[in-house]
Amino acid sequence: MCIRLNLMRGRLRIGNICQTIVRMNPESPDSHLIALLDRIAQADESALKELYGLTSSKLYGVALRVVANRSWAEDVLQEAYLNIWRVAGAYQASLSPPMAWMGLLVRSRGLDFLRRRASDRADHVQELDEVIADTVAGDAPNPMDTAQASEQAWALHQCLSQLEHRQREALSLAYLRDLSHSELALQLRLPLGTVKTWIRRGLEQLRGCMARLA
Amino acid sequence: MNIHRNPALADQLAASYALGTLRGGARRRFEALAREHASLRAAALIWQGRIASVAELQPEVAPSPAVWTRIENLVQADKQARLMQTARSAPAPAAPAGRWWASLGLWRGAAAAGAFATVVAVVGGVSLNSRLSGQVRELSARLSATPAIEYVAVLADDKANASILVTFDPKTQKLVLKRVGDFREQPDKSLELWALPPGAPAKSLGVLSGDAVVRLTAADSDIRRSPALAITLEPKGGVPPGTAATGPIVFKGALLKTPE
Repeated sequence: MCIRLNLMRGRLRIGNICQTIVRMNPESPDSHLIALLDRIAQADESALKELYGLTSSKLYGVALRVVANRSWAEDVLQEAYLNIWRVAGAYQASLSPPMAWMGLLVRSRGLDFLRRRASDRADHVQELDEVIADTVAGDAPNPMDTAQASEQAWALHQCLSQLEHRQREALSLAYLRDLSHSELALQLRLPLGTVKTWIRRGLEQLRGCMARLA
Repeated sequence: MNIHRNPALADQLAASYALGTLRGGARRRFEALAREHASLRAAALIWQGRIASVAELQPEVAPSPAVWTRIENLVQADKQARLMQTARSAPAPAAPAGRWWASLGLWRGAAAAGAFATVVAVVGGVSLNSRLSGQVRELSARLSATPAIEYVAVLADDKANASILVTFDPKTQKLVLKRVGDFREQPDKSLELWALPPGAPAKSLGVLSGDAVVRLTAADSDIRRSPALAITLEPKGGVPPGTAATGPIVFKGALLKTPE
């Protein structure tokens, strides 16, 4: 299906086909991660270490995007893995792919962290990494990374790829930082109307695309 | 609103709901409708799953190696705390009623709940409380320099601010208390340390002098039997020997056995 999508856009990228083939391998990264989570639920520290080795860069990337500060993101990461250590058994009840489940944990730890900071100091918005606003303002190359992404993430990636970079960034940040339109406008230093339009159109395109993929 | 008969609108709202940009009254109306209509609920769940994958697409960045070390320490501490809780959760006879510590369940609950939090605070230091991490480094250094220390406790106030570090060396029967917070009792008051053995009245372990480091002698058995320690604010010099505490608990914390 990835091939079809790319043809529709008049471009066929070899990388995507290869990745699609890799993804059809029954020994998917997901099943390995799930096995590790099972072992962690049995208090197996070596499994946690292996999981950390496989996923910490990805999850640190998420934490960084949520809190936009390296040392905060490290605190968030630490809390998230400790949380994984303690609640890995709950993963079985989740229907999400393992990376998505862990990503949710990191995001919610990150949001908790920001809320705590916000109550500590009201000016935390000013501390947010300016690089992010700059990235959104320009049209930098695709920052998305599909290493270890689940099938579901792969589909989302296909659809997000069709959006303009700035729209994609706005959607990602709205979700990752749990921002309203006006908070997003403030963080991206853009007019509220522009943000609303980006989000609406972005979601609209995403809906159409995801419907075709489903 | 016949939202469930308008699949495109339902899907659009579900997507905004999952993204989080559907806010306020609109969000509440959506939630109310989703509770009524399974199809709307399903759409919301599908979109939550899809949007959650945004987290999977973020660029990878390698965290500092120190993060794993911190996690590993916390996991060790967590394991230790779980073992201790299991060891200490043996049923105990009911405590004599009518005293402030009579609610043994409360103490044991506090000790159990506190154990993990305390260990996290002690070992991780977590930079959430950078004051603590300095103390933790110091405590760790002391622990390694003094291998005979078998028990350690961090007594904290009701806001979980660490205020007194306690170590116990059974060989010398010495309790060492170190004040790390800025709490200072008034001149006409004294702080008194209590062991809280399950199923028995709290036992005074002594009164703290005003010094930053206080050394008290305690019987090994008093310490071994206590899952937690507490400090009360008493009249100058403490309560008469053998009597119960009269003042409020100002600090408390789980007493943890150090790894062998």
